[in-house]
Amino acid sequence: MAEKEKNVVNFSDPLSVLIVEDNEVDYKMLSSMLKDESYKISYSQVTETLADAVKALKEKSFDVAIVDLNLSDSKGELTLKEITEQFPLLPVVVNTGAYEDDLGLKTLGYGAQDFLVKSKYTAYTLIKALRYAIERKRLELELKDTMEQLSVTQRQLIEAERMRIIGGLASGVAHEVKNPLATILYGVTYLTDHVQVDDEKYQVVLDNIRAATHKANNIIVDLLDFASLSRLNKKATSLEDIIEKSLSLVGHEIDKHKVSVSKEITKDLQDIVVDKNRIEQVVVNLLLNAIYSITEGGNVHIRVHNGCLSSEMIKSMGLSEHYFKNGDRYLFMHIEDNGSGIKNENLDKLCDPFFTTRRAKGGIGLGLPVSKNIMELHEGSLCVQNKEDEGARATLIFRTSL
Amino acid sequence: MNTKKILLVDDEKGFTDVLRLNLESTGDYEVKVVNDAREAVKQTIAFRPNLILLDIIMPFLEGPDVVMALQENESIKNTPVVFLTATVTQEEVDQQQGIIGGHPFVAKPTNFEELVSSIEKNAGMVY
Repeated sequence: MAEKEKNVVNFSDPLSVLIVEDNEVDYKMLSSMLKDESYKISYSQVTETLADAVKALKEKSFDVAIVDLNLSDSKGELTLKEITEQFPLLPVVVNTGAYEDDLGLKTLGYGAQDFLVKSKYTAYTLIKALRYAIERKRLELELKDTMEQLSVTQRQLIEAERMRIIGGLASGVAHEVKNPLATILYGVTYLTDHVQVDDEKYQVVLDNIRAATHKANNIIVDLLDFASLSRLNKKATSLEDIIEKSLSLVGHEIDKHKVSVSKEITKDLQDIVVDKNRIEQVVVNLLLNAIYSITEGGNVHIRVHNGCLSSEMIKSMGLSEHYFKNGDRYLFMHIEDNGSGIKNENLDKLCDPFFTTRRAKGGIGLGLPVSKNIMELHEGSLCVQNKEDEGARATLIFRTSL
Repeated sequence: MNTKKILLVDDEKGFTDVLRLNLESTGDYEVKVVNDAREAVKQTIAFRPNLILLDIIMPFLEGPDVVMALQENESIKNTPVVFLTATVTQEEVDQQQGIIGGHPFVAKPTNFEELVSSIEKNAGMVY
C-alpha cells in the first residue's frame, strides 16, 4: 500500500516555494498570496537574480519554483534552460508578462510544467498551478524512468536474440569447418612422415599448413566459446583459489617473460557465486594481456578488496547507471602492470570482437569481449584503463551478497 | 605383433581416405572404411573390428543411431566405439575426461598421436 500512496497527489502536504522575480510588485503579490494559511505553504523565499536562485536551490530543496524569465543577469528561455539543466528534478512554473501567452506556451516545451500570466491569476489559480506543476513533474520523471527501463529491456532482448543467432551459426559453421580441417591435418601428418624428398622447404611448407590448421581451429573454438556463454554453472567459490589456479595456468608465460607477480588480497574474503571455469578464463586472459604488454623484468600486481561503488567510479568505468548504483557493495579485483599501456585511440575498441593489437603474434581479438561478456553474465563488470603513471589496469567487479 | 582392426564410419570421404592412410602406415592397424552409415552394422558383422571410430552427424543415420543398432545385435554389441566428431570441442572432451554420455569422444581435428592413444586405450578383443 505504501507504494500506492506515494503515487497519489496529496494536496495537503505543505510546500516550500522559491520565487525568482526581480519586480517588487510581482514578488510581493506572490508572497502575500502564498501566506494564506489555507494553502499550506511551509516556506517561501524570494531571489531577484538567476545566480541567487541557483545558490538558493543548491542550499535548500524546494518543492517548486515560480520563475520570471527576464532577470537582470539572464533573459528569456535561457533562464529556464539554466534552471532545468542544473535542477532536473525541480518543478517550475514560469511567470510571464501580461501579453506573453505565446512565450508562456513555448516555455512548456523548454521544460516548465506550467505558466502564469502576470495580473491574470488569483491566489486560488496560483496554488492550483503549483500543485499541478508538481504532479506533472512527478509523472514526467516516472515516464522517463519507465522509458529507460523499457530501453534497457529492449537492449537485453536484442542482445539475447543476437547471441542465439550467433550460437546457432557458430555451431553450424564449426561442424562444417572442422571436418575439412581434420582432413587437412591428417593429410599433413601423413605427408610429413612419408615425403622422401631431401629438401627442407617441403617440411617448412608442411609445418606452415599444420600451424594454419591449428590457428583456424582455435578461431572456431573461441567462436563456439563466445556463443556458448549463456550456460553458466554458478557455485560459491573463493576468488583467491581462482587467482592461484589462473596463475598456475599462466606460469609458463610468467617464467618465459621473466615477469614478477605480487599480490595484495584483503583477509577474510567472502566467497563469490560464479562459474569457476569461466572466471578463471577471464583472469587468465587479463594476466596474459598484462604479461604480453610488459618488457622483461616487469611486474604484475593483483589487488583484491571489498568496497562500495561511487558515482565517479560508475562514470570512469563506463558502467550502466541502471544496474550499478552509487553505494552498491562489490568485490574489486585489479590486475595492474607496468607495461606499455594502451594507446588512447584503442581504448574504446578493446572490447570489440576481433579487435587485437597482437594479430601478428596469433591474437584473435576475442579475449576481452568474451571476458566482458562473462563478467556481465555474472552481474559484474570488467573495465580496462591506463594507470596514471605507466601501464594498464584491468578491474573486475563482482556483486557480493552482503 | 597383431594388427588391430578398425572400422571407420564417417561420411566425409576425404577425411576417411587420409585417416586410413595414416592408420595403415603405422603398421598397427587394418582399416575398413564405411562412408554410408546404413552399412555400418553389416560391415561390423563382416569385419569384426576391435574398435569402431564413429562420426556423429551423418546423412541417413547418425552416430548414436548406429550404436543403438549395434546393441540390438548380440554378436557385435560389445564392440568398443569411439566417437570422432566435429560437434564438440577438445575443451569439452577434456572437461569430461574424454567421455560424454558414457562413450569415449575424440574431437575433430585432434592430433593423430592423440587419436592413436585413444584407439589403444579403448580397443577390445575380437569376439
